[in-house]
Amino acid sequence: MSPDNDAAPRNNFPFEIDYDNIDVARIMEAIKSKVAEEASRESGKTLTELPGAPSDALQGAEKDSLLEQAGRRAGMKRLLLRIMSPFAPLIKLVILPVYEEQRQTLLSLHRTNKRLDALVSMLHEEIEKNNRHQEYTKLLHHLVHNIVVEMSKLKIEEETLKTKTRLLEKDFGTLTERERALEKEIFK
Amino acid sequence: MRIAFVIQRYGLDISGGAEMECRLTAERLLKYFDTEVLTTKAFDYITWRNHYLDDEEVINGVLVRRFPVVRPRHPGRFGRLQDYLLTNEHTEEEELRWMDEMGPLVPDLIQYIKLNEGAYDYFIFFSFRYYPSYWGVRTVPGKSILVPTAEREPVLRLRIFHDLFRLPRAIVYNSVEERQMINAISGNEHIPSEVGAVGIEIPPSFSGEAFRQKYRLEGPYILYLGRVDENKGCAELFSHFIRFKKETGSDLKLVLAGSTVMRIPRHPDIIYLGYVGEEEKFSALEGAELLAMPSIYESLSIVTLEAWAVGTPVLANARCDVLKGQCLRSQGGLFYENYQEFREALSLLLQSARLRQALGENGKKYCQANYNWEVIEKNYLSLLETLEKSKRS
Repeated sequence: MSPDNDAAPRNNFPFEIDYDNIDVARIMEAIKSKVAEEASRESGKTLTELPGAPSDALQGAEKDSLLEQAGRRAGMKRLLLRIMSPFAPLIKLVILPVYEEQRQTLLSLHRTNKRLDALVSMLHEEIEKNNRHQEYTKLLHHLVHNIVVEMSKLKIEEETLKTKTRLLEKDFGTLTERERALEKEIFK
Repeated sequence: MRIAFVIQRYGLDISGGAEMECRLTAERLLKYFDTEVLTTKAFDYITWRNHYLDDEEVINGVLVRRFPVVRPRHPGRFGRLQDYLLTNEHTEEEELRWMDEMGPLVPDLIQYIKLNEGAYDYFIFFSFRYYPSYWGVRTVPGKSILVPTAEREPVLRLRIFHDLFRLPRAIVYNSVEERQMINAISGNEHIPSEVGAVGIEIPPSFSGEAFRQKYRLEGPYILYLGRVDENKGCAELFSHFIRFKKETGSDLKLVLAGSTVMRIPRHPDIIYLGYVGEEEKFSALEGAELLAMPSIYESLSIVTLEAWAVGTPVLANARCDVLKGQCLRSQGGLFYENYQEFREALSLLLQSARLRQALGENGKKYCQANYNWEVIEKNYLSLLETLEKSKRS
């Protein structure tokens, strides 16, 4: 038999089960919420594992050493800026056109991206519309098919009724002739 | 009162759920009425080829009249026609052709019912989807009681069946879910009906320990009973079980008993025993931690009730609303919709003997209260009494 450990279940079941009054629906709800929680934890973990993603998992010494490295880099940057400050106007003169060009390129890229986004969303809308139209066309097709079937049935029925009418007319004619013949016989 | 039970096949060696239900009911009602069985000469439910030779025989005191199948089923042709019907616009004539292909094609049986209608007070038809029930109910609607044994199957959508459920004098459903489903499809709420069509009997002696010793089963095992078939959800069960073993490192085993129509994966902890006898079946159930029921098409699931009858809990597929409903009503089992729920529910059950015991006891009480023969006999008797009263008035 399996090892039993009712006091401390391995899978950390979220509520105390009342064994004298079992409620399967409640147990299933708890299982479902546990599965959902696990799924959201899993997806969160996957995100933090991505390169460059912020991580809450960094702790203690690791975190301290990273902060220290960042501080050192900032100090070096400040020192370099101070050394280069006399040449700042010259550097600006050389760098500024390149910087401006880069800025314009970036802006244009940004605008293109925005337009692309708008186009993609329009495309999605069009696809959706197209799908709706397709469904609608299918429905229309069915409708037309059914109408054609019904019309054919009606046509057949009409033909049958016409034939019946013709037969009745014939019968009626015969009966009239017979009536006349009988009248002649009676009034002879 | 003379009652005829009509069923597609009948015999002691036939293990299908509806067939078993029909045989046990006919035998049980023998003490109140003159019961007879009208059936075919078929044994195999795939081809319906004639197998039994005698036209008449007596099985456990019940007279059985057998009629020949005039044309065996061609599985390929039948499958193609069914696929076509389920995916295309079609006519009622095509559905009737499907019924002929479905079979078992026994026009003599229908002719016999037509000619001898006056000799019987009622005809009880089992399994709505077969030729004898479909045409039988249409032949004698005023004297027919239908036991549909319907699952949530696609052919229920066929138009020919919608009228069928409005024709009989009464209907005996296997479960509340089956009644709801058929009511929704055909709007036949006005037809008198009863729920609960079979009683569970356990053999006088059986032992889980002896079963474990015989098959040298050490450690916990879960049991699957019945036909090992993809349609019964076995492929999903194998995949869930193997993944569960990989993820948890559990020493759990999966024991299978019954006939097989699919390839069973080679795995040291999946043990296939083949067909087991009645006593051994109950021993296997008693020895198991739980019964796994992965099927999504069930109208009742007798094995689930048998598991509960011996106090074994059940882990069922929640996509089968009958099994889920039974678990909730009985408080005798847990259920799952996907692998994660399967893993959690199974882990919980395996960890706690107390939970297994409590669920098993609940199941046992539920089974005793609703699925014992006294209750079922009363159901039939009260239904027949109601019909007789309405006939007189």
